[in-house]
Amino acid sequence: MKIHDTAPAYKGNVLVQLLSYMKPYTGRVFFCLFLVLILTAFDLYRPKLIGDAIDHFEQRGEYRLIVNTAVKYGAVLLFGFVFNITQTWLLQKTGQQIMHTLRKDIYRHIQSLSCRFFDLTPVGTLVTRVTNDVEALNEMYSGILVRLFRNIVKIIGLVAVMLFMNRKLALISFILLPVVAFMTWLFRKIARKTYRKTRTALTGINASLSENISGMRIIQIFGREERKYEEFEEKNRKLYRANYTENLVFAIFRPLIYILSVFSLMLVLGFGSLAVLDHVISVGMLFIFAQYIQSFFDPIQELAEQFATLQSSLASAEKIFTLMGEDSKVTEDEHPVILKEIKGKIEFSHVWFAYDEEHYVLRDVSFVIEPGEKVAFVGATGAGKSSILNLIGRYYDVQKGNIYIDDVDIRRLSKKQLRSAIGQMQQDVFLFEGTISGNIRLNDDISQEEVKQAAEYVNASQFIDKLPKGYEEPVTERGATFSAGERQLLSFARTLAHKPGILVMDEATANIDTETELLIREALEKLMNGRTTIMVAHRLSTIRHADCIMVMSKGKIREKGTHEELLERGGIYQKLYQLQMQ
Amino acid sequence: MEQKAYSLTPYLLRHKGYYITGILLLLAVDLSSLYIPQFTGNLIDGLAGGNFGMEQVRLILLKILAVGLIMMAGRFGWRYFIVGASRKVEYEMRNDMFRHLESLSTSYFNTHKTGNLMAYFTNDLEAVRMATGFAVITVFDAVVMTLMVLGKMILYVDMKLTACAFIPLILVAIGCYYFNIYMEKCQEQRQDAFSLLSDRVQESITGIRTVKAFVQEEKDFGEFERISADNMKKNLAVVKLRAIFGPALDAVTGISILIALLIGGKMVLAGEISIGKFVAFNSYIGMLVWPLIACGDCINTFSQAAAAFRRIASIFEEKPDIIDKALSEGELKNIKIQGSIRFNHLTFQYPDGTEPVLCDLSLDIRQGEMLGILGRTGSGKSSLADLLLRIYDCKEGSLLIDGKNITEYPLAVLHRDVAYVPQDNFLFSDTLEENIAFGLSERITDRPELRKSIRQAAKDACIHDNIMEFPDEYMTVVGERGVTLSGGQKQRSSIARALLMDAPILILDDAMSAVDTDTEEKILENLVSLRKGKTTILIAHRISTLRKADHVAVLTDGTLTEYGTHEELLANKGFYAHIYEKQQLEKGLEEEQNENS
Repeated sequence: MKIHDTAPAYKGNVLVQLLSYMKPYTGRVFFCLFLVLILTAFDLYRPKLIGDAIDHFEQRGEYRLIVNTAVKYGAVLLFGFVFNITQTWLLQKTGQQIMHTLRKDIYRHIQSLSCRFFDLTPVGTLVTRVTNDVEALNEMYSGILVRLFRNIVKIIGLVAVMLFMNRKLALISFILLPVVAFMTWLFRKIARKTYRKTRTALTGINASLSENISGMRIIQIFGREERKYEEFEEKNRKLYRANYTENLVFAIFRPLIYILSVFSLMLVLGFGSLAVLDHVISVGMLFIFAQYIQSFFDPIQELAEQFATLQSSLASAEKIFTLMGEDSKVTEDEHPVILKEIKGKIEFSHVWFAYDEEHYVLRDVSFVIEPGEKVAFVGATGAGKSSILNLIGRYYDVQKGNIYIDDVDIRRLSKKQLRSAIGQMQQDVFLFEGTISGNIRLNDDISQEEVKQAAEYVNASQFIDKLPKGYEEPVTERGATFSAGERQLLSFARTLAHKPGILVMDEATANIDTETELLIREALEKLMNGRTTIMVAHRLSTIRHADCIMVMSKGKIREKGTHEELLERGGIYQKLYQLQMQ
Repeated sequence: MEQKAYSLTPYLLRHKGYYITGILLLLAVDLSSLYIPQFTGNLIDGLAGGNFGMEQVRLILLKILAVGLIMMAGRFGWRYFIVGASRKVEYEMRNDMFRHLESLSTSYFNTHKTGNLMAYFTNDLEAVRMATGFAVITVFDAVVMTLMVLGKMILYVDMKLTACAFIPLILVAIGCYYFNIYMEKCQEQRQDAFSLLSDRVQESITGIRTVKAFVQEEKDFGEFERISADNMKKNLAVVKLRAIFGPALDAVTGISILIALLIGGKMVLAGEISIGKFVAFNSYIGMLVWPLIACGDCINTFSQAAAAFRRIASIFEEKPDIIDKALSEGELKNIKIQGSIRFNHLTFQYPDGTEPVLCDLSLDIRQGEMLGILGRTGSGKSSLADLLLRIYDCKEGSLLIDGKNITEYPLAVLHRDVAYVPQDNFLFSDTLEENIAFGLSERITDRPELRKSIRQAAKDACIHDNIMEFPDEYMTVVGERGVTLSGGQKQRSSIARALLMDAPILILDDAMSAVDTDTEEKILENLVSLRKGKTTILIAHRISTLRKADHVAVLTDGTLTEYGTHEELLANKGFYAHIYEKQQLEKGLEEEQNENS
């Protein structure tokens, strides 16, 4: 069987898809970009103002001029402050809103996928898509795109302003910039490699830890502590070495970039001083250049970082859109038939079904169940009994043949009506976190009174009443605090409270104590009363009372009839029965 | 033995050379960093005063270069030494933590979830590492830098100007401190909202079949939307804080510069300070910003690390409950278990339990006997195995091996002479060969001839043929990145692992539940012939497994309710007979299917 964790690459342009989510906020985004432009201009203007002041000093200007400059500086500061807050806030908000929308879209899509998809895809993968992968995109919408823009504008602005002020000095100042860009690029590359190594080592040590902690009992029982410690230490040393290399890379790179910035400063000061001495530029200009050349270093390094983040965001986006492109759906008919009421006649007509298009688990299965009839399916594991149950609720579509409910093909019925009419009970009862009554009611509009009635009717109230908080007793993750029998009874109450017309159930084989088993049997009889019931049965007592027994083997129905008929016929069933009675 | 409280000091002392060197280099860097603005200021002064020629300019440039080179070397050094030392501390702590965990008893692991223990090794250790590495640098740097820059500003430029410009900057430190506290609160809420979202999605997807069966999609989606919206709200709270904080920081620095401009400008014009000093002063303001931010940050880093360290130390405070008799290798060799077991009015309760799981149980198992144990879940079957393996201790005198109290035997002897096939079939992500040889004290690499016995054990456990079908045969790696074994294959591998030990006592705890009946039959036959003269305890749910046993004991709620041979128990018409009948039907269906194919 194929597992969907390495999904096929998403076909189509991820970036275009991502930008399309920004569409409703176009105005806002452009407004922010505009603010960013102004802010960048401010950033460039601030050193200029101080430089101007220096020139005033040099010319022994009036204090009034200084105050003037200060006022301008103050204004730039104030507007910069306001614009910056506005811009950051608006963009972050947009990012969050897009995330919310995206999450909803993904969740809706996941909900609509068929059970086949869930059989093959680990839950963890899907959770990651909805949570972490979307989170990774936020970075892109609210930060990276704008900062990328801002840094590019800043670099272009700096280059332009410097060239405008003094072309020769500007060009000299730029000499080392390509080296910085190259070094940063090189560093990224090396850093990524070392980072990957530390990640692998860390994953290795975490995997080893989690394995050894959960297997500690076995390690101790077999007395293998020393050997496992050695293995762990080896992994730990590997991690240490990877961390050491990473630290070394950073320790070398940062000072290197620093010394480059010193070189650049020396270049500017050296050639700038020459120019000052030649009276080509003022001292203030020299100050401005010295400030500007140092403002170059940050945006260049940031750009590299931002491209890396952008890349990982795009990787997440690709995973998300691959999932969104998944179309293993059980699709609703465009004009679904809505029946006045579902009486409960079920017909399988030459049904062929395979979960994977290849290995048929049902082969040409046909039968009719009249409203109110109770049918038990009997057969070994893998005979196809459970598949029949899955098909009635249309959790999968059949490959060949038809399934009719009240003489309408179920593919034409509204899924909602169909599933509401079917009370499906699994062997493994799923309980949600919440309370007992919440688990009976689910999210539907069912009164507390009805919840209690349902629980009483199916004998569940006996154990519920004994709980400290009764119906409001909390249910923890997956109902771990309840026994298999109690869970079974709860699921009966849940099913009954939703008043289905058809009962579909997989009888539990779990170890249930005799007392509870009696309660369950009694509850079942009550539940089946007046309802079409299809069940996979394991207990002879349940089977005997069915109106019709279908014996399955290898995807086919071998025998059908009542208990007595089948006994008389002397086939498989009779043999089984005799074995049991010996 | 009195043990000192777990402390960080020994780790730090072990690397004191690294820390001292690092801090000295840091000091050198901090000292030199002041000179570049000063030299730039000198240059501008000289140029503005008109008394500078290219000669002087060159001299200043050389000074700048010298300082730059010193700083480069120093910056490399402190990172190398201090961060390097913190990595070493981390490495050593991790080893020590693991070693200590290995010594703790099963009850500790029952009450502490793997996820939580993992968090000690990841998040908490990380917090401690940050505090012993970067935070050391930051705190030292911040304090030294602030003092030095302030000194420079006062001495080299002007006292009054410094005082005025510094006032807004104090706000930065105070602001950062409170910002961090408030931010942490917001982050926590955000984290909680995020976990809630994760849990919700996890639960809904796991229960998707139930959701679909009860047509709950719409309502489930509504609930999801509400949680996602809440998540957005909590995110926005964090975002809002950040959106204000960054620009505010910028603004405060700007105000300092503005003050410097207004007051300093007046002073320049009045001739009280030079232009160059004014320029240097501007740079100094810039240099003060980050140490002040760092001050606020560090307080947080240290308080988090302290909490993390307390959690880690709590592991070390834990003591093992099982006290072992430590003996030398030679002595261990001389102690040999024969294999007769006696439960003598055994009553046992788990340390965290509220009522006994075994009640006044008396049972004799002769050496060489094969005993079957049957009972419902929770009847106390596995507890018997736990006691025999001394995972827990029971009352003195209630469990005897070869007539001696089980506590008389060193753990190493028990682990050597009692082989065990656990219920949960835990295999390590290692090669199958290593997994099967797990119970042997020798290593395959040291004794390659072991391979033969490994293969024999695998054949006896009916897993050999499966293994040979795997791409790398016995070298196939189990688990995550290797071949995933089916439940039955895992069970049979653990059986092979136990058989290979050829121990006087073998316990199989529900070890064949996932093995099909034919294979089970074969394994049982092998067991009977291999275990001749050696004691075997078979815990099972299936009668087919128990049929081969000499005697079967039925446990009900911790007491022995039935005991005898298969025939005796069937005649008894009790629980055993009842289960037998029930299982006949399943077996019949199985056989029917096989006949048809």
